[in-house]
Amino acid sequence: MSGTARAAADPRVDAAFREWLLRAADDELIIGHRHSEWTGFGPDIESDVALSSIAQEEIGHARAFYAQLAAGGGDADRLAFARAPAEYRHATLMERENDGWEWSIVRLVLYERYEAERLRLLSASGQEPAAGLARTLLREERYHALFADAWLTRLARGREEGHRKVQAALEAAWPEALGLFEETDADATLVAARIVDAPAAQRRRWDAAVRQVLEPCGLVIPSASPKEGGRRGRHTPEFDRLHDQMTEVWRSDPEARW
Amino acid sequence: MEARPQPQDDPELLARFTERIAAGDQIEAGEWLPGEYRFEAQRLIQMHANSEIMGALPEREWIPRAPTLARKMALTAKVQDEVGHGMLLYRVAETLGRTREEMIAELVEGRARFHNVFHYPAETWADVAIIQVFVDGAAMQTQGALRSCSYAPYARVLKRICYEEDFHIQLGLDVWRTLAEGTPRQRAMLQDALRRWWTPLIHFFGMPDRVSPHTEKMLAWRIKVKSNEELRQQFLRRFVPIILEYGLEVPDPGLRRVDGEDRYVYTEPDWEELKRVGRNGGPKSAERLALRQRFYRQHAWVREAVIQWAAA
Amino acid sequence: MGRGVSAEEPPEGAREPAGGGAVRGGDASGAAGRGGSWEGRLDAPPDVWAVFLQARTRDPHIHVGDVHAPDAEMALLVAKENYTRRDPCVNLWVVRAGEIHATTEDAAEMFAPATDKSYRFGGSYRKQQQIYHSGWRLSHRDEDQ
Repeated sequence: MSGTARAAADPRVDAAFREWLLRAADDELIIGHRHSEWTGFGPDIESDVALSSIAQEEIGHARAFYAQLAAGGGDADRLAFARAPAEYRHATLMERENDGWEWSIVRLVLYERYEAERLRLLSASGQEPAAGLARTLLREERYHALFADAWLTRLARGREEGHRKVQAALEAAWPEALGLFEETDADATLVAARIVDAPAAQRRRWDAAVRQVLEPCGLVIPSASPKEGGRRGRHTPEFDRLHDQMTEVWRSDPEARW
Repeated sequence: MEARPQPQDDPELLARFTERIAAGDQIEAGEWLPGEYRFEAQRLIQMHANSEIMGALPEREWIPRAPTLARKMALTAKVQDEVGHGMLLYRVAETLGRTREEMIAELVEGRARFHNVFHYPAETWADVAIIQVFVDGAAMQTQGALRSCSYAPYARVLKRICYEEDFHIQLGLDVWRTLAEGTPRQRAMLQDALRRWWTPLIHFFGMPDRVSPHTEKMLAWRIKVKSNEELRQQFLRRFVPIILEYGLEVPDPGLRRVDGEDRYVYTEPDWEELKRVGRNGGPKSAERLALRQRFYRQHAWVREAVIQWAAA
Repeated sequence: MGRGVSAEEPPEGAREPAGGGAVRGGDASGAAGRGGSWEGRLDAPPDVWAVFLQARTRDPHIHVGDVHAPDAEMALLVAKENYTRRDPCVNLWVVRAGEIHATTEDAAEMFAPATDKSYRFGGSYRKQQQIYHSGWRLSHRDEDQ
């Protein structure tokens, strides 16, 4: 998928592209935030440390995207901390609290394949410097997927109780995972500009990719309708609490240096 | 707590061991150890490991609230380091005869000890600066000295730990500086945090050592390398100037440098408080142990699952 | 444990295993000592894996420490973040620490040259002494050189 049109040339396309980048930034920030909350509470010390690194990388990716978005003025921290909850564009899957280790692992498995695909599309989009950034970030994503898959396998195939818990987490996560592909006007604009292909096609590729890791674990792929809203800024009370906490210190004095 | 063992050490082996230590030798894992040495070293290292794991708790409360993306990543990385130090230290403690599983179970059940400072609340963002500069700074004094302890696996791990703690102090100084040079509210927040942490910091090094056969033996065996008071003075020499440099107040009005000497006098703290805290009776002890226990139990099935999978 | 990383003792002082555990020789307690065995397996729990890190291509793999992990794949995955956060790395090995066979402290004496081996040093006794008394460091970190 190569976009020959420079997004900046057409303000509508530019706005759509920026919205797409903002989704990436917000997805990474919010899931990184959730992963960072596991620091000190992982099931074993070694995995605690490993997931903490993943969290730091996700927040780092968010920062890189915000920096690109803010390049025209303003700064990455303001984008991360100054917006009201309804201005964030992450999928609601990211804002869900860490309801057990299996929940976070299942979410990461589902999200990783989406994120890797997004970065591949971005790196092939021809839209520099974002495309170059995507190529760099992809190198870190591989480990995230390996870690998530290794844990999923051990949890789902360890014993019966574990299998049930993982299946339950998958049922709970699936509708909002489909919400990753929620479309807004921006998607049609980007497709028309040949910067990305249709979300439906992306979703099919994602579905095939996640099946490859879920099915060998004996997990049943849920059939459920998408639960959407995040891409339009419609978030849940869980995000209100997250946002409140995340911006608490920053809001205590937005003009101060921290 | 286990009772002190009464080992029947082979006198020849004991003599050889004592000679080697006196000659400045370090002992490797797997070598013969006097029973009391093994007990004391194991207890010290286990307490250190526990402290790293429990030490993550006050600071990690501020990870979700860190006010910039850079601070968010840096604080996560710093707390991650502490957790990693716990891993390294439990492995060393393991070489002295207990399993990691045993030691962690003991900790989460409230039957084990960890350093006093981690029983206190981290009430504001400024507490993060105090912890990273002063608490880590205090720990560095002890850890730095113990790099020349007699148990080689511990000495090696401490070298790595000190290397990483140095980064923490640099990070902490950056937050400290930002707040000290910031708005009046930020400065006030920093001063208040320093005030709340001061007594625990002075307590950290323990009461001045009683002259006792036990202390003498610990020093001779190099399980203890410097006295409590020496380490406390080292800490004051290094860190009081930082407070003064930024125009903040040392929370002890009785603290001053002795004229012409490299030594500080300070107001004698309430040692009863330290004893209470040491018995897991500090302001946050019960809450933090309960939190650890909750997750430990929540993860029991996860531990089972990975063992089952590996065995299959 | 990171025996190889900061081996500050010269080879003549080098002793027993590059692991953190006792050596199980003929003596069940793992104690090195009189009449004991000169070699054995490291006495480590079965879920402990020794981690060997290669900093750059052509570097040797160095034992940097251990991890607890249920299996080899997980050991490699966690070793990456537990041991290479601040250290360059191109390759990792893991092996169960209990699979490591090692000489005992008792046997250290065996390694130190008793008679003149200067024929290995181009005939120079002085060179031999210099090498055996130097602070030879086997480390992948420049600052340890």
